[in-house]
Amino acid sequence: MRKNDNITNEYQETVDQMIRTERIDKSNAKFEKTEGGFLKLSFKGKEYPRVKVVRLFPFTEPDRYLSVRDPGNKDREIGLIENLHDLDAATEEEIKKQLNLYYFTPVITKVINIKSEYGYAYFHVMTDCGECRFTINMGSNAVVRLSDTRLLITDLDDNRFEIRDVLALTQKEQRKLDLFL
Amino acid sequence: MNLKYDISPEVKQKLNLRGEERIYYSIPYDVSDEGKWISDGMLIVTTLRVVLVRAGEVEKSYDLKDIVKTRAEVTVGGGMLIARMGEKEQYITRYSAKHRTRYAYIARGMNILSRGRSEEVESKEKEKICPTCHRALSESGKCPHCDKQGGFFKNFMKMIEPYWERILWINVLMLLAAGVTLANPHLQRILVDDVLKKADGDIRMGILCLFGMFVLGAGIVVINVAKSYYCTRLGARIAKDIRERLFDHLQKLPLQFVNDRRPGELMNRVVNDTGHIREFMQDTFCNMFTVAFIFVAVVLYMLYLNWKMALLSFLFVPVGVWMTMAFRKSIHRRFHLQYLKEDDVSSNLQDVLSGMRVVKSYGKEEREKDRFNELSDEYARVAWNNERFWALFNPAVHLTLGSGVFLVLLYGGSKVINEEMTAGMLMQFMTYTTMLYQYVQWMTNMPRQITNLIASMERINDVMNQEEYGHGEEADEKIEIVGKVEFQHASFGYKSYEPVLEDINLTVKPGEMIGIVGPSGAGKSTLINLLMGLYEIDDGALLIDGVPIEKLEREHFHQQIGVVLQETFLFSGTILNNIRFAKPDATYEEVVEAAKLANAHEFISKMADGYNTYVGEKGFTLSGGERQRIAIARAILTQPKLLILDEATASLDTESEFMIQQALERLISGRTTFAIAHRLSTLKNADRLIVIDDHKIAEAGTHEELVEQKGLYYRLVKAQLEMQASKGA
Repeated sequence: MRKNDNITNEYQETVDQMIRTERIDKSNAKFEKTEGGFLKLSFKGKEYPRVKVVRLFPFTEPDRYLSVRDPGNKDREIGLIENLHDLDAATEEEIKKQLNLYYFTPVITKVINIKSEYGYAYFHVMTDCGECRFTINMGSNAVVRLSDTRLLITDLDDNRFEIRDVLALTQKEQRKLDLFL
Repeated sequence: MNLKYDISPEVKQKLNLRGEERIYYSIPYDVSDEGKWISDGMLIVTTLRVVLVRAGEVEKSYDLKDIVKTRAEVTVGGGMLIARMGEKEQYITRYSAKHRTRYAYIARGMNILSRGRSEEVESKEKEKICPTCHRALSESGKCPHCDKQGGFFKNFMKMIEPYWERILWINVLMLLAAGVTLANPHLQRILVDDVLKKADGDIRMGILCLFGMFVLGAGIVVINVAKSYYCTRLGARIAKDIRERLFDHLQKLPLQFVNDRRPGELMNRVVNDTGHIREFMQDTFCNMFTVAFIFVAVVLYMLYLNWKMALLSFLFVPVGVWMTMAFRKSIHRRFHLQYLKEDDVSSNLQDVLSGMRVVKSYGKEEREKDRFNELSDEYARVAWNNERFWALFNPAVHLTLGSGVFLVLLYGGSKVINEEMTAGMLMQFMTYTTMLYQYVQWMTNMPRQITNLIASMERINDVMNQEEYGHGEEADEKIEIVGKVEFQHASFGYKSYEPVLEDINLTVKPGEMIGIVGPSGAGKSTLINLLMGLYEIDDGALLIDGVPIEKLEREHFHQQIGVVLQETFLFSGTILNNIRFAKPDATYEEVVEAAKLANAHEFISKMADGYNTYVGEKGFTLSGGERQRIAIARAILTQPKLLILDEATASLDTESEFMIQQALERLISGRTTFAIAHRLSTLKNADRLIVIDDHKIAEAGTHEELVEQKGLYYRLVKAQLEMQASKGA
């Protein structure tokens, strides 16, 4: 087999791409809002009509290590933004909007009431996205502990809610939550 | 699932429908573009447009004729509707996870409309929330509140109906117990008043009283023993019957139902929930009528004896009830917390013990110790707190209720001194008072017992009401499989908004061997799951010899297919039993022959216990390759007409693989075979290969044809050859 076979080269390239990490920063990339409400990117001489921005550590580092991906090419990674704050203010703003579009995990700020009945628990809470009511199945893994004080709650519809710090809630609220802690 | 929510007439007017334009779908969107919850957003699809309405005002509108394709993209915790307009991707709206499925259907519906067709999509999916009371619906789509609240007694009655004869006897015993319990204090009174207190007390009368008391005392013991005996038997029997029915039903449910749940949860239903029913029958039900009867009788009798004193002693009843009720919540919370902490300790323990090899090989024992200690300390703290609380609480309740007795004693005592009442009567009264308090305490427990029972029965009924899979009335066709398999526009997804296979079309001739290749996660195993009839396809048809698979009688169908899966599962038992699983009456000759074909005979013979070797819970004493070979023997024992091999030889060494390939070749000839493999050499005998990529059949044809095409398959072949070449070099 000839070593310069084009498929081999292609795979080699893929492997290179797989291993290499491209850094995206304000010096080499230009993000722009598209008419359709998404983001386009020109990076290293290439144009991407629409890119997706993905958080690598959504819970621990929401503003750092953002992977920019290309939905036109099997969602392959184009590059990594190490810190959102290193970009210029306007770009930072746009990317934040995109992230907001792709991530919907309301953070519970106040527990108004929890009622349990027939194996389901009905939550009435205040979140950073507004007041809301949701239901969880108590028989499944609806409440996951991200850390000792941080909870992720998944409701019947697969909506996710976060409690950043249980201890920051009032005693009364904590008592309501006790059954799930 | 509702795809047409009501639209108010005002909104309808603002839509300004043009001429022939008709509303097709109208569904809410519950998240604003900025990511806040909203309740007044509505997306309306007409024959010509998509319109976004917010708070009764038209916000945006897109013409369907500009839209090439619409899709509902799943995002983290939600989704968005995106339309491709020419080259441009247009964001239309976003929504929470609640509406993902709805939007998946809407996208499909919009695509049909923008292609100029007019059929409407309908969703067979069930709603999750009761439209009347907004409670979560059970799996069966019934509302636990609206459908069943009044029905609990009906359900309970239905449950105990087959046992009515025993229950009748138990009831007789309960009444007897009540009568005897009430009669005893009365004899006491006679003893005190007519014998002891009288100067000329009749010794014979005294002995008679004592004897009567003894007989009643012994009687109550006998009655209680008999009652407990029958109740325990009844409870165990009912639980056993339900458990068996439940397990039987569970096995007939779609695999999806089992997969969607943690195994622990289903185990709980079979073991714990039936256990609750047993406990209820033997502890609560058994005493329920006795207690109720005695309670009413005591109250009436006390009022009859001395109504003033009776009311005085009732005074403390509400206090006792209040105390128990008030603390019950806190008790429940405390002990539930303790249970959770205990669970933490044991799950951590399980985690570490099963991962011991990893822990040790990374030398992290110290850190694991700290983590365990932390959890263990936490548990100890909660448990200690609870015990302390319990130790304080219980005597406190007794003391409070006890003071009621003192009050009665004070009042009654003064009456006795003033000779308005006899000492015997006071004694009788006090015994009744104590009894009353005991029963009140017992009865305050009842609501919880009943709630637990209701919850358990709900959960059991929830499973029982699930529709069995493939057991419709028409699933009764028994055909001798020849081996023709057809997929016609088959689509399937484990979740309706995430299709795994789309529009699969494939006709397989009897005896043909089909090799399935493609990247991981493309849907190869799913295709095979459908073929095995483990899941029902969402759209299109899957025909076996021209008969839709869902019409085949299950057992008969499964007897004719042989399956070797990637993860081989061996049941606890002997190798013999494991090979015989599909055909328990196979002869020893057949078993040995199958094992030889699977290249398993050699290693089995070398084991001390031969085919009688016991393989542990998951067959841990065997290596992966050995387990796989047993699985192959199991699959070929039945001489299946349809053979399914999902990476059947992946855990074998090259030599065994080669040998089994040879053996399988002999077996495969004349049988329709589907084989998934990553190592393409495994499929060199396949008549046809299909490449599954991106949820579809990307390529299909013989090896030569596909190589010619220079598509995906060609690349895979090249890559594997390269790999071998570079390894060889």
